[in-house]
Amino acid sequence: MSIGAIEPGGFLPFAPPTIDPVTTPTAAPAAGAAPVGASAGVDFASMLTTGIERLEGLQDRADSLAVQAATGDLSQIHDYTITATEAAVSTQLTTAVRNKALEAFQEIMRIAI
Amino acid sequence: MGAFDMLGIAHSSLTTHQTWLDTLSHNIANASTARPTDQAAFQAQFVMAEAQDAGGVRVSGLALGDPEGRMVHQPDHPLADENGYVRMPDIDMGAQMSQLIMAQRGFQAQTSVIRNAQDVYSSALSIGRNA
Repeated sequence: MSIGAIEPGGFLPFAPPTIDPVTTPTAAPAAGAAPVGASAGVDFASMLTTGIERLEGLQDRADSLAVQAATGDLSQIHDYTITATEAAVSTQLTTAVRNKALEAFQEIMRIAI
Repeated sequence: MGAFDMLGIAHSSLTTHQTWLDTLSHNIANASTARPTDQAAFQAQFVMAEAQDAGGVRVSGLALGDPEGRMVHQPDHPLADENGYVRMPDIDMGAQMSQLIMAQRGFQAQTSVIRNAQDVYSSALSIGRNA
């Protein structure tokens, strides 16, 4: 039995699978075979890096809007509140993924040999 | 579709509603703005909203009201012509006020959607959490 790596779905925008009736027979097996592989560790690391980079961008945007709010340049209040909410939820998501990964790692380290 | 589409759509709606509120404020502020009869009356602004394909709404443009306005007999007005008329904007204050309520309620409804979205996100994050 093989356990698939945690896929980057949680971090990247969810792309609903588009099923093209013409290409489905050839495309489907290839897509199904791709995710599970030996490079699972690299996938997780790069996924974490992308996630943190995205989070950093969001927080930068929220920060600049907060500065605008302080200086009186903010034209729309909801611009800031929504961006801040998005940044906060993304932070929670990132920490949740990190905690889960750490939990899994500790679980493995606890295995008695 | 992204994970935060709900917020993006709500953002577009709040922006549109705010534009609507801005135009209503502008119209109400100028409801009594008189012009000389040889000029066009103040034209009320109307927001044209349009649905976006990717979700959400946007302001596609501003429509302007009737430049004809109403001819009002006010001989003592400094802008009155030789017959004593000034041109007042054709704005119905009652209609503007009811639109104001609609815009305000729309804005509030959208903020409830955002609150709801936050609840949804936090309950999704709490899946599988210990304790």
